[in-house]
Amino acid sequence: MGTNSGATAGINNKPVGGAAVLGVGVGNSAVGGGVLSNSLGGVGSGGLSISGLSAGGQNANVGSIISGNMGGSGGGNNGSDDGGNGMGGPGGGPNNQQATTPQYTIPGILHYIQHEWSRFELERSQWDVDRAELQARIAMLLGERKCLESLKSDLTRRIKMLEYALRQERAKFYRLKYGTDPPALNEFKPSASEETGLGGDVATDSEVPYSSVSNTTWRQGRQMLRQYLAEIGYTDNIIDVRSNRVRSILGLNNNADHDGGIGSSGGENLSPNINGNESNKRASESDGRHTPAKKVQQSNDAIILDTEAAVMANFEFLGPTEMSDDDEISDDLEMVATDNDDNDVKMAKRPKSGKDMLSEDLEAEVGEHLLNDMNLMAEEVDSSLGLGELAQLTVNNDSEGSYDSNTKDGTGGSAGGAGYRKTWNAKYTLRSHFDGVRSLIFHPEEPVLITASEDHTLKLWNLQKTVQAKKSASLDVEPLYTFRAHTGPVLCLGMSASGETCYSGGVDGNIECWQLPSPNIDPYDCYDPNVHSGTLEGHTDAVWGLTTMQNNIVSCSADGTVKLWAPYTKEPLLRTYTAAEAEGGPSSVDFVRNEVDHIVVAYNSAHCIIYDTETGKQVIKLEAAQEMSGNTGKYINKVVSHPTLPITITAHEDRHIRFWDNTSGTLVHSMVAHLEPVTSLAVDAHGLYLLSGSHDCSIRLWNLDNKTCVQEITAHRKKFDESIFDVAFHATKPYIASAGADGLAKVFV
Amino acid sequence: MKMADGSTILRRNRPGTKAKDFCRWPDEPLEEMDSTLAVQQYIQQLIKRDPSNVELILTMPEAQDEGVWKYEHLRQFCMELNGLAVRLQKQCSPSTCTQMTATDQWIFLCAAHKTPKECPAIDYTRHTLDGAACLLNSNKYFPSRVSIKESSVTKLGSVCRRVYRIFSHAYFHHRRIFDEFEAETYLCHRFTHFVTKYNLMSKENLIVPINEEEDAAPGESEA
Repeated sequence: MGTNSGATAGINNKPVGGAAVLGVGVGNSAVGGGVLSNSLGGVGSGGLSISGLSAGGQNANVGSIISGNMGGSGGGNNGSDDGGNGMGGPGGGPNNQQATTPQYTIPGILHYIQHEWSRFELERSQWDVDRAELQARIAMLLGERKCLESLKSDLTRRIKMLEYALRQERAKFYRLKYGTDPPALNEFKPSASEETGLGGDVATDSEVPYSSVSNTTWRQGRQMLRQYLAEIGYTDNIIDVRSNRVRSILGLNNNADHDGGIGSSGGENLSPNINGNESNKRASESDGRHTPAKKVQQSNDAIILDTEAAVMANFEFLGPTEMSDDDEISDDLEMVATDNDDNDVKMAKRPKSGKDMLSEDLEAEVGEHLLNDMNLMAEEVDSSLGLGELAQLTVNNDSEGSYDSNTKDGTGGSAGGAGYRKTWNAKYTLRSHFDGVRSLIFHPEEPVLITASEDHTLKLWNLQKTVQAKKSASLDVEPLYTFRAHTGPVLCLGMSASGETCYSGGVDGNIECWQLPSPNIDPYDCYDPNVHSGTLEGHTDAVWGLTTMQNNIVSCSADGTVKLWAPYTKEPLLRTYTAAEAEGGPSSVDFVRNEVDHIVVAYNSAHCIIYDTETGKQVIKLEAAQEMSGNTGKYINKVVSHPTLPITITAHEDRHIRFWDNTSGTLVHSMVAHLEPVTSLAVDAHGLYLLSGSHDCSIRLWNLDNKTCVQEITAHRKKFDESIFDVAFHATKPYIASAGADGLAKVFV
Repeated sequence: MKMADGSTILRRNRPGTKAKDFCRWPDEPLEEMDSTLAVQQYIQQLIKRDPSNVELILTMPEAQDEGVWKYEHLRQFCMELNGLAVRLQKQCSPSTCTQMTATDQWIFLCAAHKTPKECPAIDYTRHTLDGAACLLNSNKYFPSRVSIKESSVTKLGSVCRRVYRIFSHAYFHHRRIFDEFEAETYLCHRFTHFVTKYNLMSKENLIVPINEEEDAAPGESEA
């Protein structure tokens, strides 16, 4: 519109005289200026719009001086395009028009020159904008480069660490095997660096042959080295250092971003005249032009989030290796780490109070640490190595000792958790059963628990009544009361929410109800027959699963039925649930915790079925088509319901733990969790952590958020092919416990 | 069992196992047991196979540490005595049996207390079994299940003496319970044989007349 009207204005003006040519030129340029100012003004940086405005003003002047028509029409058009800004110019135009119509001469030329000058000014300011933009981009790229550099330096540091560790391990191995020291170190050096050149995997792989050569000497050597390091003081909180290292890189990145931000804003400041509407302009322009510039143009928060995500993505591929390698060698390596990255360590120490912690914990740690290792060595039966998918788990297994001691005081929860990390240590050993402990359950409030054993008895324990065991850091607890009524092995336990009554199911098919004696009872008090307060008869075969909810209990039995009971009522048996023949017998049962009146039952068919307790109807069946193509080995040993989410967790004979969505019935997550069948599961009251026990003699603590193993503890020995039968969380106190086939129960704090 | 059909036999009682299949797996030779609980496994395996074959159950394998052998057997006795205690609980109350007696000649004092006292029979039974469980599982006296200190072996004798009184009380005062239990487990028979064989109790203390009924067994072992 502007140009057209300008052209017509020029044509109209033609007959007027020589000056008309000038007029046309001016008109064009004025229109051009108008267009330019439009583009600038429309995009809208404040400074530019000001210059646009001034150009508009000049337009109007030119128009008013040179030709009324032209000025009027041009100005008018400009005004309409420009909006409010332009209107000021043309507004003056018509008024001046009549007053100065006859003057075409020198002032016109002057104005032309003036106008030309303003045009150049305009162009210059545009270049300024471009320059600012490019500067911003440079700053951003610099920031990105900084990021990558720090990432790179961290990676090289890791490689160095691995190299160093490998060298150390090799030297140690050689020393243990041949008894000589220095030549080995030198000999192995070149090959070590060769191998580590290939990356972290090599380190993990090369472990396997070592361990298989001589597991004991290997472990002894490892322990020795740990001891040395403990003496120097390097058994500190590795996990924290590691997480902090990650964080420090993130911190660096953030800083880089800030730098970029400052850089770009600095660039903007170079051309202050464009500051005002700058962001708008960018949004529209840069979309088309440079994609990388995008990031900078978003708000600062977004930038940080973005790069964080990007860096996290970078780290994702590092994640697994870190889990397997770093744990393992990190305590050997911290020396290197601190030497190499002074800067980073400073950053890393920033969030915590550094040295204080270090020295404080050291003493306490060394002792426990060694003990833990001794335990490990004594109790570890055999961790068969080279298991393919399980290689990582095996490595974890080896590194258990260091992991334990190093995470001890951990407060630096790194990856998305409640921000606390605690390492559990065996504190109480509950020995008094003559045979395997099949089940255990904590009192909801008191530090009291009950164990049920294959020796036909249940025992009550008060953790506050301990006997100091000789030459051992762990305390022995003597049982306060022995519950006798079952005529066969006791398999499962349940406790009422008040903690006053408890229920036990056994191979004899009975469910016995017990009133808990006071936790301060004298163990050799008189027999009170009222403790045994009833028997729920109805199952015709071994009762394998028992769980409570309010006043009801639900039980599952090898007779194929699941029964709902209301104990201490006239008709305690409320309902019986029987599945289709094809499902086989039930193996485990739990109440669905976030849904009233629902129970979830695991069947031999490796399916779980959720029933509505009121109607007795099946609500949903948890099965995964592709997962369950071959059901052998997928047998479910234990099913638990998440305390707050609609998630069911199952422990499988095929070493997996699987997570199911209760509403859709689909498999959410599946993971290899142990070296042998997973036998038991427990979720803490808040639903943040999962505890699993397995016949591989170990219990593992999992972060439910990211499904990673937080800690592994070797807890029990094997009897026949069985090891751990049950695990439990205390609902309100920081206790976890495990029950084993070796007749012991252990409590960890 | 289902799990036995692979190349390896897994001796496990998985949740959902029927009572009749509980621990029903092929026997494992002692030499192949690599667990620290091998002796217990072996003894339980023998009992499971045939509880009446007392002689075989008590035959110590070659190269077996005698202390451990005796210790593990005693653990097993105490464990199975729980079964007798459960039955006694139903019938033997502090009102009917105010003292731990066996015939009229014997009154036993309960050693579980600081000063031995005349507990009612059922309390005596429970206290003795609980005390034995604590002693036999004590980290102080029996820290290991693969080797037993010589000083601790002497403790076994006193445990035997005390738990034997449960048999004698049941025999003389709750004969029906005793007979039912004995028919099922042969426990008193085995116990008598055991203490005689390893000289853990003097003969005059063995008041339950089981030797006369089965005179062949103790005669052999003493010979």
